[in-house]
Amino acid sequence: MNPSGFETSPPFPLAARSALQDTQLRANLRQATTTIRQKRDRLVAELPDFEELRTAAAGIKDDALSRLDELLGQLEASVSARGGHVHFAASAAEANEVVVGIVKAARAREVVKVKSMTTGECHLNDALAAAGIDVGETDLAELIVQLGADLPSHIVVPAIHRNRAEVRDIFLAKMGEHGRAAPADLSDDPADLAGAARAHLRERFLRAEVAISGANFAVAETGSLVVVESEGNGRMCLTLPRVLISVVGIDKVIPRFGDLGVFLQLLARSATGERMNPYTSIWSGVSPGDGPEEVHLVLLDNGRSSALADPTGRQALRCIRCAACLNVCPVYERVGGHAYGSVYPGPIGAVLTPQLHGVASDSVSGSLPFASTLCGACYEVCPVKIDIPRLLVHLRARSVERAKDKGPGLESVAMAAASAVLSSEKRFAAAERLVSWLSRPFGAKGAMGPLPWPFRSWTISRDAPVVPRQSFRGWWRSERGPSVTRGPQAKPVRRARPARESATSSPAATGTAPAATGTEGVLSAVRAALRSAPFSLTERRHSYRDNPELDMAMPPIDLLLERLSEYKATATMVGMQEVQAAIGTVLSRGKSTRVVVPAGFPEAWRPEASGVVVEIDGGDFSPAGLDGFDACLTGCAIAIAETGTIVLDGGESQGRRAVSLLPDHLVVVVRQDQVVATVPDAVARLTSSPTQTWISGPSATSDIELNRVEGVHGPRKLDVVIVVGRQSFSSGPSCSPEPKL
Amino acid sequence: MRVALFVTCVNDALYPETGRATVSVLERLGHEVVFPAAQTCCGQMHLNSGYRPEALRLARRFVDIFSSYEAIVCPSASCAGTVAEAYAHAAEDAGETSLAQDARALSPRVHELSKFLVDVLGVTDVGASFPHRVAYHPTCHSLRVLRAYDQPLSLLHAVRGLCLVELPGAAVCCGFGGTFALKNSDVSSAMLADKLAAVRASGAEVVCALDNSCLTHIGGGASRLKMGVRALHLAQILATPEGGRP
Repeated sequence: MNPSGFETSPPFPLAARSALQDTQLRANLRQATTTIRQKRDRLVAELPDFEELRTAAAGIKDDALSRLDELLGQLEASVSARGGHVHFAASAAEANEVVVGIVKAARAREVVKVKSMTTGECHLNDALAAAGIDVGETDLAELIVQLGADLPSHIVVPAIHRNRAEVRDIFLAKMGEHGRAAPADLSDDPADLAGAARAHLRERFLRAEVAISGANFAVAETGSLVVVESEGNGRMCLTLPRVLISVVGIDKVIPRFGDLGVFLQLLARSATGERMNPYTSIWSGVSPGDGPEEVHLVLLDNGRSSALADPTGRQALRCIRCAACLNVCPVYERVGGHAYGSVYPGPIGAVLTPQLHGVASDSVSGSLPFASTLCGACYEVCPVKIDIPRLLVHLRARSVERAKDKGPGLESVAMAAASAVLSSEKRFAAAERLVSWLSRPFGAKGAMGPLPWPFRSWTISRDAPVVPRQSFRGWWRSERGPSVTRGPQAKPVRRARPARESATSSPAATGTAPAATGTEGVLSAVRAALRSAPFSLTERRHSYRDNPELDMAMPPIDLLLERLSEYKATATMVGMQEVQAAIGTVLSRGKSTRVVVPAGFPEAWRPEASGVVVEIDGGDFSPAGLDGFDACLTGCAIAIAETGTIVLDGGESQGRRAVSLLPDHLVVVVRQDQVVATVPDAVARLTSSPTQTWISGPSATSDIELNRVEGVHGPRKLDVVIVVGRQSFSSGPSCSPEPKL
Repeated sequence: MRVALFVTCVNDALYPETGRATVSVLERLGHEVVFPAAQTCCGQMHLNSGYRPEALRLARRFVDIFSSYEAIVCPSASCAGTVAEAYAHAAEDAGETSLAQDARALSPRVHELSKFLVDVLGVTDVGASFPHRVAYHPTCHSLRVLRAYDQPLSLLHAVRGLCLVELPGAAVCCGFGGTFALKNSDVSSAMLADKLAAVRASGAEVVCALDNSCLTHIGGGASRLKMGVRALHLAQILATPEGGRP
């Protein structure tokens, strides 16, 4: 069950060969990648400025990487100022040591985890298990992988290789070992399977003292960490336990909060083919009375500063882990993620893993840059414009260079011979004649069938062409006479070979871990990398208009209604005087009778229907207490028309995050003046809100055969009441249009 | 116009017909074709296999041989893409800035055949006749590096008697990938099998592309399966005059 299973992986060609035998795997992969690809293409086509967004995103990441030392310092200061603890870890082992230490200090025997690639990279689960700590993965796919003692095969949908019957068997056999068992009559319907996970994990969420997460982005300016997810397991982990530890790669830093206006438009579209993922959580340090009391940020290097020292290779550090490159890759589609022998599979894994581990440091890293036809489909979809084919070619060169150091192999001898032949037209013409003569006996058949070594691997599935008697140059000479040998003015120029291949032999690019540890270890490695290979950015940062004049087909409020109905959330538009009645209606339709409201929720909106019990949360309900309510009523900070997103930021009408998370029915009141058109509009108004929850439809998972199941951990029913009219609200505190801290 | 032909090593040795067809089409349109005999190979195989120093020596050689020509035409999308784009990238990545500069200077004068005909010469009807069902496979380098897609299709549309059939999943790689076909022959073969199934489903008699290297792979697979489908470079279809046979 440990990710370190990857350590024993064979090189790509061998792993791929066995994966190809698995017809079930190939069928699952084809279906899954085709579905996501189509959804992505449709939603990307919807954005008129998608190319501009890609350019902006690449520019922001390059800007961040070019002054990473400075931004890491700023991030550390911002998080510390808000009561968070910041740790630097030069290696995976160091990060694991820090995390285990925090968990032990909290005297916790159990942790819950949000899906995180970075902790997978560190094999953190193994380190925790070795320390006697029970680790619970809470993302549905990660849970399937963990309970099945399996390895993830996709970045976004890690259990893409499993079908529903397999998931059912895993749940029945293993769930009971870690808490609430799956019901004996569990069917293989994805909704039932998700239901079993919900019941099992709900107990663990309410019980756990410590949660561990990664982060999609870390904002230097505000100290904000951002987790993007679908199921609500992230919100549970980030909100309920007393201690929160986030392990974040140093490549996740972005300079400004406003940069999220670019990335939050790109990530979900590229990853799952949604306008916005159901839940995005943003927090900065500790927010007293709301969420964890103790917050840790572990900033991980683990090979990233080595990658940063390679002017070509460091593009890979722009990656936002969307997996769009996996979904379009014809090689990935046929072999799946396990063949890549790393937590990072597919095209991005082929360029990232060798750089993090050290190019050609082992047989897997050595084989990965060659695990591609260089077809370029990945580069076309990458939201941060990583030129993966160019990186693959570059890493192949570094890999071959490393191999040559070990002495000549069969391939390098053949390549040297080919190089000698191709460096002279006379030798090349002679070689043509020789090969033609050699293949003459086969000429009659027109094509050559299975041939012995060294042609065997070609002719295993393909006939080889018969070499013609006369080459093109032979024909030209016989028909046209002597050719021009050189261009009119050209003369051969012999240039000295450069003394060294600058990028590839710099000491920092050798993939060895920095010797020093902790803050100084990481920061000095980053500084050394930037000194040895400074960025030469033509533009300091690409400006993306903060308020794009998108061609809105309809007024924002109508678009919001349409988007909400697409999510199957019910949305009602009412006048100021009808709010209370509308709330009463949606509660009774949802059969919700026990209702919790934040203390600042306007009194005049509280339902007064008979049979409905309304209780006010002043911060005193335990998670289990909140779990006992049927519904939560809340205001909001902002609603985004373009994506149908409602943003809660802990303002007075909303209260703490747990209140809107645990009850199964969420009713949100949105005022007309809170509706903005686009994501950048919203980001601009939310810069100073330290805790934010972005909600785009009900919680959902597509982890089992990509069947969408709504309602995993967050509320399964979402009702939105939109209040129109200019009249301001007078009785009781209002939901402020300006977010309150 | 005086055109320097870069025939490519694969075409020179294995597909001289493609080179002859290229000469024939260009001359039929009234252009002078010269063949700089010092040419050998652009170095793509070495470059894409990780033998960058060897590849850059071939790149330097190529640039020296061709730098004085106004128009260089190449009947291979991947070789044209190597010269026009990958040379500069590889030279930069290896820190050879003067080669990178020379390669960038040469780049705008290097043309893949179909783009040269349509974009530079403004011709779509080259007077060809080819009464067969043809599927067009856009090779990865033609589609995603050179952005040559409309050009070959408009040339094929203008060929008399030619019936262009739809190839399902046309834009997906055939699985060749140079030495990938040898190093990862199992994955390569699996991708080929899917491409051949698409060719079969299209009902084509001929599968056409801008790269003989990919066509060696596709045609070799079709030949092994005795599909009765021929793989043919675009140049050879365009060179077929009324009543002729390529």
